[in-house]
Amino acid sequence: MNFLAFQYATPDVNLWLILPELIICVVGVVVMLVDAFVKPTQRWVTGGISLMGLAAAAVGSVWLWLSWRGSTEAFNGMIVLDELRLGFTFVFLVVSALTILISMVWVENERLPAGEFHSLLMFATSGMMFMASAGDLVIVFLGLEILSIATYVMCGFRRTDIRSNESSMKYFILGSFSSAFLLYGIALTYGATATAVAPGTTNIAEIARRLPDAQYPLLLFAGAAMMLVGFGFKIATAPFHVWTPDVYEGAPTPVTAFMAAGPKAAGFASFMRVFLFAFPFVVVAANKTVAGQIHAAWLSTLVVIAILTMTVGNVVAIAQNNVKRMLAYSSIAHAGYALVGFIAAGAAADMEQRNAAIAAVIFYLLTYAVMNLGAFAVVQIIARAGDRRTEVEDYNGIGFQSPWLAFCLSLFLLSLLGMPPTAGFMGKVMVFRAALDQHYYLLVVIGVLNSAISAYYYLRLIIVMFFRERTTAWNAPQIPASIGLALVITILGVFYLGLFPGRVINALQTKPVVSVSMR
Amino acid sequence: MQQHLLTAIILLPVVGALATFAYSFLPSRRESNYKWIALGFSVVDFALSLLLIRGIGAGTKDFRFVEDVLWIGSIGAHYHLGVDGISLWLVLLTTFLMPIAILSSWTAIQKRQLSYYLFLLLLSSAMVGVFVSLDLLLFYLFFEASLVPMFFLIGIWGGERRIYAAVKFFIYTSVGSLLMLVAIISLYYIFGTFDYTIILAALTSGKVLGNDREFWLFLAFALAFCIKVPLFPFHTWLPDAHTEAPTAGSVILAGVLLKMGTYGLLRFNLGLFPDMSRKFASIMITLAIIGIIYGALVAMVQPDVKRLVAYSSVSHMGFVVLGLFSFTEFGMQGALYQMLNHGVSTGALFLFVGFIYERRHTRQISDFGGLATPMPWFSTLFVIASLSSIGLPLLNGFVGEFLIMLGSWTSNAVEHAWIVTMLAGTGVIWAAVYMLWMLQRVVFGKVTNPENARLQDLNAREIGLLIPLLVLMLFMGVYPSVFLDRSQASVEAVRSRIPAREAGGSFETATRSRQELDQKDTKSAQRVEAKLSK
Repeated sequence: MNFLAFQYATPDVNLWLILPELIICVVGVVVMLVDAFVKPTQRWVTGGISLMGLAAAAVGSVWLWLSWRGSTEAFNGMIVLDELRLGFTFVFLVVSALTILISMVWVENERLPAGEFHSLLMFATSGMMFMASAGDLVIVFLGLEILSIATYVMCGFRRTDIRSNESSMKYFILGSFSSAFLLYGIALTYGATATAVAPGTTNIAEIARRLPDAQYPLLLFAGAAMMLVGFGFKIATAPFHVWTPDVYEGAPTPVTAFMAAGPKAAGFASFMRVFLFAFPFVVVAANKTVAGQIHAAWLSTLVVIAILTMTVGNVVAIAQNNVKRMLAYSSIAHAGYALVGFIAAGAAADMEQRNAAIAAVIFYLLTYAVMNLGAFAVVQIIARAGDRRTEVEDYNGIGFQSPWLAFCLSLFLLSLLGMPPTAGFMGKVMVFRAALDQHYYLLVVIGVLNSAISAYYYLRLIIVMFFRERTTAWNAPQIPASIGLALVITILGVFYLGLFPGRVINALQTKPVVSVSMR
Repeated sequence: MQQHLLTAIILLPVVGALATFAYSFLPSRRESNYKWIALGFSVVDFALSLLLIRGIGAGTKDFRFVEDVLWIGSIGAHYHLGVDGISLWLVLLTTFLMPIAILSSWTAIQKRQLSYYLFLLLLSSAMVGVFVSLDLLLFYLFFEASLVPMFFLIGIWGGERRIYAAVKFFIYTSVGSLLMLVAIISLYYIFGTFDYTIILAALTSGKVLGNDREFWLFLAFALAFCIKVPLFPFHTWLPDAHTEAPTAGSVILAGVLLKMGTYGLLRFNLGLFPDMSRKFASIMITLAIIGIIYGALVAMVQPDVKRLVAYSSVSHMGFVVLGLFSFTEFGMQGALYQMLNHGVSTGALFLFVGFIYERRHTRQISDFGGLATPMPWFSTLFVIASLSSIGLPLLNGFVGEFLIMLGSWTSNAVEHAWIVTMLAGTGVIWAAVYMLWMLQRVVFGKVTNPENARLQDLNAREIGLLIPLLVLMLFMGVYPSVFLDRSQASVEAVRSRIPAREAGGSFETATRSRQELDQKDTKSAQRVEAKLSK
């Protein structure tokens, strides 16, 4: 008790450690304020401010990565600094920046309040970043809620559109439902980790330390299972994926693009943080101890979930006629591939392999973010105002009518499919490599067979665009400068990550300079 | 230049593609100039690749023109290229066929010329890359990357059922190659490197994979390559893809893409897993024989000339696999030779089919007849190419098939190798049947259809692009030692690692020692070559 009293007496405040998060939050507020004063014709101002904020946060992260010499924990272990956090933060910043570029013109065209959109996006981003930096289940939940509430609003941002409303409502109800699962899981875990001398804990590292002498193992199992379900909802794994297609289809395209890349990565960040660090691999007599049993249980559950997720996502995507729905199912499938890397990280006995596997998952999510946002950027241009043209039929024969758009989309689809020399290929190589390292041969074989299945629906869109002739008139859409910029960045990214990924992978594996051993 | 020659050969077509693309932005651009640019780059590329011959003489066993740069540090992948006697000729075949393919599209391709030549040039890069990569990840990259341009070539410029054919081609091949990717990554974990030469050195110096592991690895590689070859029963994508592809696409597909499969079998399956190759030999040979006979029989009854040629590919590629898995020097050298032959002869046959299709817009045998009267040039050259495909002595096909059968007769890979050889021999007879029968119905006889009576004969461009092929057929038929000498040491290096069969078979070879057989091989090889070069 003394120990705890001491902690509460001197709050361990260190704002430097949450510098990137703080920058983003402040920018969110500033955007709101600025929005109140700029003329309606100068909506790009808020977007510009947000982009600058993201850049500043990126600089802050790099600074933490390279030059931070202090403690790697703050707020009594609620915030931690390690490569998992920094790697994911980088992914979130990329996602947000690209989302702003994609949405800049859209906000204009649909006559939506730009300032609100951008500040919501900033808050969502800060939520994601907190999810990655959390060292405590409470912060995980806090970050998740900041993210989710902002995203619920963004889904329903086109107020007059019934599909957008449906999307928002569905996401809200199912999202709250899954949050409840997560929260209940946290509560049970808290209860289960109580010892004779101290109350329970929500600190992730502390949970891992208390596992060996947990008093209520069953409660702990239930708590872990609940959290698994909660995270499973957030990253849209089968069988918790049913909300995804409807929400993705109905939400405005830039928001869908954001949701498929950002919150999913954030979900992975927390999911991995909680399960890899609170219920880690234990060496001795795995089946005898509570810790060993929990580890074995969640790992084998995840294997089943990963197989289901990949298969369901890919097989059902074949039957889709709406491009956004198809990409929604494809995002489910990709969560499955990323889970393969997660499983490898969970099964790794040695720290180096585990960190390599974590880096592989982050790299995978980065490549996925780049190619997926690129694909949605094209979908957004073709869909036009009000998301009118999102059926596969609308893409009929546009290949040579709008060659640039069609080329970009084909490239992103081939990358999603995992063709070399694109980013998607390297991402798959990285996660499959990590999994093979842990001898998950069958899982990897199922994974690659799934990518063969996915060829069918990715190619379908390419076929429709290039191999068919257009029967109805097509007036080629203009590519706005901001989306053009986003496309250039994503194309360069797809080739850079596909041909020369070495530097990025190295960076993701590099520990922050002063890193206390990762727990 | 010398040390970056391979990179230059790979990159030049990409540069060509970029140049063509840049040209399309010029205000004074002309649609008809794209092909000239593409042709120019492909001819220079061929000229560059000819320089490779100088570096590889008779008896060259190791890799030459090696380039080795770290590519992805964190996973230890290298940009490692090199050429030996095996890949030399396949690289040359690729760069040789490319200008011909471009010339053959001269008038046939009227729509979307820019993207057409872009895809052809990119395809050329990927194909050369496959043959010269010595890093498994790099190899896989090129292997898969070659799929995409071909997919577009079939899908955009193909025939009526092009979409079906393109998708089937893509999915079939990618299933196999994805499993190979798993095997490649597993090899990385066993050896800690993707580098082919290091893995090979480790295996040669006694590192044992273990039976189980080797079994699965062999299977994963073999599946990818057997689909590509295609070996019966994985061949069903081939007739569709060949038939629907535009002429140049078929030429490249038959000429080079199929060789990636047999090259892979030789380089990776036989090279890295010799013990398992020995164990799988009987299965592979059985499938090869089935392919030879089945392909020939199905070719015989095809009403469509292009489909007939496509099925004849199944039959011919069966010979190559048979030769590879005979584990004799004859057989394997013959297989390599037959790869080149098939590229040249079948490539030429597809060109002929393309020529008449351009004129008549049909490929049905029944629509033709008596073409010899209106089209004497066409008919003469077509007959020569067909005879080369049948395997007439003096022409290239004979040398390859003869060597393969000589090899399989003396092979100890399977029991009763002579039965296998006899069965393969019937394939040659069937080839004569289906080719000659087709010639009879298309070229000879009276002109039955008045539309055929006033067909234009080949023009100068068409004859011009056929001449190199026909000259090569004759040259390869009478002077094979130019080719065989240079590949001999490399092939022998692969063969020598394949273990001799344990005693116990009923065929006489089983009772002899391996050395005796080897001596016999070399002696008779010398005899054959001496005869052939006369």
